[in-house]
Amino acid sequence: MKNKVILLAAAGLLSLAACNKKDDNNGSATTDFNTLKTKVLADFTNNVAVAGYSDLKTSADDLYAKLQTLNNSATDANLSAARDAWKKMRGTWEQCEGFLFGPVEDNDYDPNMDTWPTDYNQMDSLMANASAFTVADVQNYTLSLRGYHPIEYVIFGKDGNKTAADLTAKEKEYMMALAEDLKNTCTSLYSSWSAAPENYAQQVITAGAGSTKYTKKQDVYLAIIGGMMDICEEVGTSKMKDPYDAYLTEPALAAFLVESPYAGTSIADFKNNLIGLQNVYLGTYNGKSGLGLKDLVAAKNKSLDNNIQTKIAVAVSSFDNITLPYGQAIAAQRTQIQATMAALDDLKNTLENDLEPFIKTNITD
Amino acid sequence: MKKLSVLLCIVAIITGFSMCRKAETFNDDGYDERLSGGGLATVFDATSKAFTHAVDGLSGRDAHVQKAGDVAFEQTFVSSPAPIFGGLGPIFNNVSCISCHHNDGKGTPTAGDARSSLLFRISTLGANEHGGPAPMPGYGGQIQDQALQGVTPEARISIAYTDVAVTYPDGTITHLRKPTYTMQSLYTPVTGACNLSPRLAPPVFGLGLLATIQEGTILAFIDENDADGDGISGKANYVYNPQTKQTELGRFGLKANTSTIAVQVATAYQQDMGVTSSIQPQKSCYGQSQMNAKDLNAAPDLPDSTLNAVIFYIKTLAVPARRDVLDPTVKRGQQLFAQLNCSGCHKPTIQTGVDMTLPSASNQRIHPYTDLLLHDMGDDLADNYTDFLATGKEWRTMPLWGIGLFEKTNGTPYYLHDGRARTIEEAILWHGGEADKAKNNFIQLSKTDRDAVITFLKSL
Repeated sequence: MKNKVILLAAAGLLSLAACNKKDDNNGSATTDFNTLKTKVLADFTNNVAVAGYSDLKTSADDLYAKLQTLNNSATDANLSAARDAWKKMRGTWEQCEGFLFGPVEDNDYDPNMDTWPTDYNQMDSLMANASAFTVADVQNYTLSLRGYHPIEYVIFGKDGNKTAADLTAKEKEYMMALAEDLKNTCTSLYSSWSAAPENYAQQVITAGAGSTKYTKKQDVYLAIIGGMMDICEEVGTSKMKDPYDAYLTEPALAAFLVESPYAGTSIADFKNNLIGLQNVYLGTYNGKSGLGLKDLVAAKNKSLDNNIQTKIAVAVSSFDNITLPYGQAIAAQRTQIQATMAALDDLKNTLENDLEPFIKTNITD
Repeated sequence: MKKLSVLLCIVAIITGFSMCRKAETFNDDGYDERLSGGGLATVFDATSKAFTHAVDGLSGRDAHVQKAGDVAFEQTFVSSPAPIFGGLGPIFNNVSCISCHHNDGKGTPTAGDARSSLLFRISTLGANEHGGPAPMPGYGGQIQDQALQGVTPEARISIAYTDVAVTYPDGTITHLRKPTYTMQSLYTPVTGACNLSPRLAPPVFGLGLLATIQEGTILAFIDENDADGDGISGKANYVYNPQTKQTELGRFGLKANTSTIAVQVATAYQQDMGVTSSIQPQKSCYGQSQMNAKDLNAAPDLPDSTLNAVIFYIKTLAVPARRDVLDPTVKRGQQLFAQLNCSGCHKPTIQTGVDMTLPSASNQRIHPYTDLLLHDMGDDLADNYTDFLATGKEWRTMPLWGIGLFEKTNGTPYYLHDGRARTIEEAILWHGGEADKAKNNFIQLSKTDRDAVITFLKSL
């Protein structure tokens, strides 16, 4: 009987203890968590988002300069340098896609520079056109005639084997107008975060403390996680899966669904998207590091943090198993593609079923 | 003694568990007012993606179709011939659904560029063979203000605003902007009377629920002769459905000028993008002097599988849940909204009917804040464009669900049929006609109460 009493007493204590929502060390961890909530937002904003957009602006300037050099002197060396600048910029942009929320979507900077597919008929018609290209013309073009991919089409060629000698005067003119437009878009995107009047960085940092866009911290955290889930899903279920599925039913068309086909950087694009997601979670970017979502999660649930970090790492490294250009891999490396898509799906489910509820439970203000 | 300690332990256990229950103050009937789209079609997300979520409970196959529709909704179309996504134009307003319906929400009131979400319907005197607006010769029913390279857009629309000040009895002044729309750079002259009707792309979520409301429910809101004397009549629009070839009750479109989601989607592809489908097989340039004969007998640009996926996507977009429903200011605003009789047209609660294919939309208590009827909105909002039974002064009551999230979903929010209002307050002040009384009563409120009404609307 005495045992029963002890058991019941223990159960009673447990049931009371179970309700205790505060951390064991009398609230000091709670205070730390509160500080952490603010610091993670500031570090994400400064070290990842603004730093990423700043790099994007710099690489847009660099691409413009390299194209200018190519425009002045059409040598294969200059063409090669321009292609490298394009690829570098593309890598930065794909990483920035790990946090597609805020001005990049609200002000349509994303579609203005990254619309797929390109419109061959209209591009060819434009480049056959006698009138001069200005950046103002390009801004009035439809989305499929602006941004990265038309530049890619001009400097890589439809099959990726263009030479400097192939570049026509009209192509060069179009290319320069496109590059200037892209530079303007990236400058505006950077300014929208870093400067008045929009100053989106401030909106994020002051979430729940004066921000007019985010009256609660929880809202901005959900936007950040939403961005992570979206990119995971976009890569896994659209960018990779659409051509992968189409290969079975319409093999002749499947390769046309693959993004960045002229430069052949599709897989690098996908991987950079996931590295962008990883940057957001870890709070690191290009040598900068600070607090990230990982610190918030680890403060309350280390095993969840380990789980998320592992799944991100698995997804990121899985791209290295796809060694052929993606348009060929959909035929010859289907198993590897399937493994990557499964890793992305697994990661997305963890973000949706574990990370999002974690945020909703632990960040309510 | 032992019995006592056992008892104490049991009490401790019960107390312990009961303390776990969070205090929640719901209404006496236990109803959760946040569920704007009912139990299965409400989503708890207040971010910029709030309008983009699927309803709960889709089967694996349905979820797959929904996803395919989502991708197609965002897909940019290009000119034909193209291996994929051809069919754009030759004249059009935009290149994808998402270009106008940003984040599945409301758009930006500019016309003729890549970000634009404002289009213009055009008509001349009379009616077409189905009782709809009479097409303008050479233009059809809509101005396509963009075109492929080498093609001239039908026209450009210039938009100018003039300032209109409204002074409240307490001395507060609010500035409205009154738009003027002018056609410029016409590819061919317009002949005879010309009416223009501006239409800003509306949000596309929750439409499956509105489609499921029984006709009788909507018709019961009609009070065409204002028998109850509240100044509000309400009228149903009956419109031609090109798919069924029947005249049906209109419930979609800013003048309730479309009866089904399928026709809404197919007509948007055709008129806004120039993309043909089995429901709307004719190119939008048909009847144009510039390129009348082009592609008239070609196969549809859009396969039925894609068309159906997009229709299903629209049908199954969930409604965002309300926020702050227990906030005292929100509560106060909610009371005032009813007292001012805003709810005379913006019906807070409707019960949906049954659609066996859409369990999430069936038999739901929803809060769309619309009666789906036409109302005379006064001279200031009039476009003088007749659309089936809708007169030039009549507009369909805009659903208000989600209105508090426009700032999130759209960056800069715009309100009303043409986006002239930059704030909810401006939108209220533009109301006239049948809404004159409600608006004037709003103006008479104290600043605190006016703010409470707006705070309530922002909770939707």
